[in-house]
Amino acid sequence: MNRHLLTAVLLSGLVVLLVVATEALGVRVFDRIATNLCVSLVLVIGLQIFMGNSGILSFAHIGFMGVGAYVSALLTIPAQMKGMALPDLYPILQGIQVSPYLAIALAGVAAAVVAAVMSYPLMRLSDAAAVITSFALLVVLHTVMTNWSNVTNGPRTLFGVPKATDLLLAAGVAVAAIVGAVAFKESRTGLLLRASRDDEVAAAALGAHIPHLRWRAFIVAAFFAGVGGALWGHFVTSFSPNAFYLHQTFVILGMLVIGGANTVTGAVVGAFLVTGAFESLRSVEARLNDLKLFNDQVVGLTEIVLALAMIAVLILRPGGLFPSREIGAVLARAFANKKKGAA
Amino acid sequence: MSKPILRATDVVVEFTGLRALDGVSLALAPGEIVGLIGPNGSGKTTLINAITGQVRLAGGSITLGDRTISGLKPRDIALLGLARSFQIVRLFNEMTVVENVQAAALAHGAGTRAARATALRLLHELGLDARADELGASLSYGDKRRVEIARALAADPAFLLLDEPAAGMNDAETEALLHTLAALPAQRGLGLLIIDHDMGLMMRLCHRLQVLAFGKTIAAGSADEVRRHPAVIEAYLGSEAAHA
Ligand SMILES: Nc1ncnc2c1ncn2[C@@H]1O[C@H](COP(=O)(O)OP(=O)(O)OP(=O)(O)O)[C@@H](O)[C@H]1O
Ligand SMILES: [Mg+2]
Repeated sequence: MNRHLLTAVLLSGLVVLLVVATEALGVRVFDRIATNLCVSLVLVIGLQIFMGNSGILSFAHIGFMGVGAYVSALLTIPAQMKGMALPDLYPILQGIQVSPYLAIALAGVAAAVVAAVMSYPLMRLSDAAAVITSFALLVVLHTVMTNWSNVTNGPRTLFGVPKATDLLLAAGVAVAAIVGAVAFKESRTGLLLRASRDDEVAAAALGAHIPHLRWRAFIVAAFFAGVGGALWGHFVTSFSPNAFYLHQTFVILGMLVIGGANTVTGAVVGAFLVTGAFESLRSVEARLNDLKLFNDQVVGLTEIVLALAMIAVLILRPGGLFPSREIGAVLARAFANKKKGAA
Repeated sequence: MSKPILRATDVVVEFTGLRALDGVSLALAPGEIVGLIGPNGSGKTTLINAITGQVRLAGGSITLGDRTISGLKPRDIALLGLARSFQIVRLFNEMTVVENVQAAALAHGAGTRAARATALRLLHELGLDARADELGASLSYGDKRRVEIARALAADPAFLLLDEPAAGMNDAETEALLHTLAALPAQRGLGLLIIDHDMGLMMRLCHRLQVLAFGKTIAAGSADEVRRHPAVIEAYLGSEAAHA
């Protein structure tokens, strides 16, 4: 089998396994965790599409998650509820109500369009300048979300988003993201973008139009961020702009860096590992608090452990757990070597 | 219509406080192999950088046929059919060897399948079949240089500019490289400009040699003419005396 196909099948298989195991156990908590994991997968894989192929750290990603969440909310909150949820909403938008599935797709498109318009001038930048401007982009998006009360309810929580995301939907989108990311990576744009990641001068000397390649990846990444945000919105049903800011950025970046930003395998493995660790730590935290060993509540254990894990990975294995080869390639090579050894 | 000639005319390149090229001219026709030699720091690499748009000209011009290409971006110059290798190898380290070569074909408009086929064929021609699936970073120095040449060829260039392609290769590798390079102009009709310090290689490979010293051309002509030129002897002995 073609090794890229093998990678896509194996990674999708992991998601299928997650769904089957969760359904078999039938525990509600697990269902919530697994659904959140699938949403994280969509977000991390989206970030991998830009960061992994271009080699540029982007802080803006979660901002586009917010764009997606709000767009989908606006398109789906029932007309009679809009008066309460968004008292200052523009009259034209009050009557709009589409199916959540359509809204989730449109949320991705909206995030992609916003990304396309905002980011083109930034794609010439590399290194520190690119990272800082992506951070500025996140701040701009956050500021708009907290202040454009007409459509976001400002810094306050927006209620009344219809519940539409279940494990199956989230898992389906996660699989689509996996396939999309593997296909993008192997496409003409993806391959040339990776070349520019490894050596900008050499890639330009071959004739690669680097800003353009980056821009395409940024748009595709924002699409998945928007879809991920919408999925999440229709899962939790109420949120405020703070959900799309530094904490979430840190978690998603942590997943990608630990797994290995250069590979889709890394993105998937990172999301699984960090989610697993988070949930275990959260239950440890709850136990500790139940035991009342300390005078105060134990909080923030998860974030600190994630930070330490990120530091450890960056020191010991700077490229993450899967730094350059996808799982399909790793297995195909191991298999080929074994055959050579036997012959 | 005959293919255009690549021409540098009175090229001046300045770095802060230093004239790296001081009015150098050079012409390269399709099908011809020109060697650029000269002591360390004489401006050879800078001339390639000037031609391919990596450094800005402070004077003079570069033309391809009747089109001026100086001032264009490296990427636009590349798309006009100029390919190069680098003195300090620049491979795509986290990509496989075949992807390294594929990238060049893709940049020049080939589809992914065609680009892969081209890449595999070139790797075979350069004796790199067994390395196709290795990561760029993991190769030996000589292999890296060969991958750079394969990559440049995958762009199907009209002109190929190689900066010390034999550096770091052993005698057998250099000999094999000589045969590969010597065949290129006839095979592909391309013009080849080579920088190298290996005089034996350069004398046998190049149709013409041009000698730079301190950013100026001090001699040009056939291998024999250049070897006997007093200014060349002076430049090389002088530089060796300075090194000693
Ligand atoms: N980017 C740069 N900035 C400043 N000075 C430079 C730069 N590139 C080259 N130089 C200087 O220009 C001069 C010519 O350098 P160049 O690399 O062209 O020499 P060369 O003939 O290729 O030498 P070598 O045989 O050692 O490769 C040298 O003095 C070098 O130090
Ligand atoms: Mg040089």
